[in-house]
Amino acid sequence: MEFKTVLSFCPYCGCGCGLLLEVLDGKIVGTLPSKTSPVNQGKLCVKGWTVHEFVTSPNRLTKPMVRQGDGLQESSWDEALNLAAARLKEIKEKYGPDSIGVLTSAKCTNEENYVLQKFTRAAIGTNNIDHCARL
Amino acid sequence: MTFLKKLLEFSGIHPERLRTRWVSSAEAVEFVHEVSAFAEEIKNLGPNPLRAKPKEAA
Amino acid sequence: MSQKIKEHVQKLLTEGKIKGFFALREENGNIMPHLFCDPKELDHLSLGDWKKSGDTRYPLNQLMIRLAIAYPNETFAVLARGCDERGLRELFKWKQLAEDRVVLIGIGCPDELAKACECEKPFPDSLLEGPQGTKAENEKVASLDKMDLEERFTFWETEFNRCIKCLGCRNICPMCFCNECTLEEANLIDTGEVPPANPTFHLVRAIHMVGRCIDCGLCEEACPADIPLRTLYKKVTEIISKEFGYKTGFSVDEKSPFNIIEVK
Repeated sequence: MEFKTVLSFCPYCGCGCGLLLEVLDGKIVGTLPSKTSPVNQGKLCVKGWTVHEFVTSPNRLTKPMVRQGDGLQESSWDEALNLAAARLKEIKEKYGPDSIGVLTSAKCTNEENYVLQKFTRAAIGTNNIDHCARL
Repeated sequence: MTFLKKLLEFSGIHPERLRTRWVSSAEAVEFVHEVSAFAEEIKNLGPNPLRAKPKEAA
Repeated sequence: MSQKIKEHVQKLLTEGKIKGFFALREENGNIMPHLFCDPKELDHLSLGDWKKSGDTRYPLNQLMIRLAIAYPNETFAVLARGCDERGLRELFKWKQLAEDRVVLIGIGCPDELAKACECEKPFPDSLLEGPQGTKAENEKVASLDKMDLEERFTFWETEFNRCIKCLGCRNICPMCFCNECTLEEANLIDTGEVPPANPTFHLVRAIHMVGRCIDCGLCEEACPADIPLRTLYKKVTEIISKEFGYKTGFSVDEKSPFNIIEVK
């Protein structure tokens, strides 16, 4: 039997509210706000309060998936990445770089967002990059 | 009911806007009388504050 | 202040009388709930006083219920103030915790905290450390009672308008244990609406606090909109006390008029 609280930070918006993950026998079972975090001072919004729900959600993808017909099929990383690269190149050639847009997320790290914007602007060659927080 | 009336009063809603009465379906006259009397009484209390457009958040 | 507690808990742990002790730990300037299973960890024990007395209290009873469901045959000790003891008494009556599986480690609250909380009884009966503080006067409810009906309506309407429906009040409440919560019932409370139905949403929660609210104040501390929830629930408790003669958390066997739980 092991129960512990782990200090972490909300992965959603840019505020960075401090929260405590309740971990029972290796599984995240609940969330509490951190009262000693200067950002949120013991308070959370509804997204922060439900962080533990998405971590263990059955809807999370665990393998790369490729669309075939109407459904999604499990595939390998190589197959999925090759397909994405090929199709993006094809679309860029046929319709131009501005026909492609990239949506990132506040849940990504700063580093991931940097790579994505570099990819969008340098590799694809478009300024069409935006972010879920602006929606 | 006692509790609910006091809670409404604390929240700024007139407790007399809430009423419970037992009336059998066989007592049609009593039912009409109760409802009419109640309607008259709440009319005299004025418009329900809950119907008004809420003021801007502080 | 924690020396007596450390010694007492150490004894309980080494004698195998408890599996763990629910309290708080201090780590790198942060204070958080902790289940002490090893006496050596007690060096990091915190009683919940960070910058002010009692400013880092957490719903330890709630965590204990979680463990009690997973490990119903284990006994746990818990750090308990006056409000926590009230909570435990009710949780025993609501059948959420077993009395013979809980050891209360009682601490009394200093006057400064008791006054800020306007606490009815700022110390538990089984008191190990801390003062037997004095009952504080209920000024917040009294000042609202003095207003007339219209003033009070405007007051509450303005306060509730700031609600962002984070459900923090419900999530942090040590007495909220329902698996299905009315506040998340789509047929009763509209989804996608902020602020939620003013004042219905809050009055619904207030009704559910009957015979349940122990006046710990965690709800108000968790509200990002600084809504005076505690004052609302204090009034609820006052109504029940005056009209039904029931004081939440004071009796060991008398059940709340809203508690109809029977376990065969």
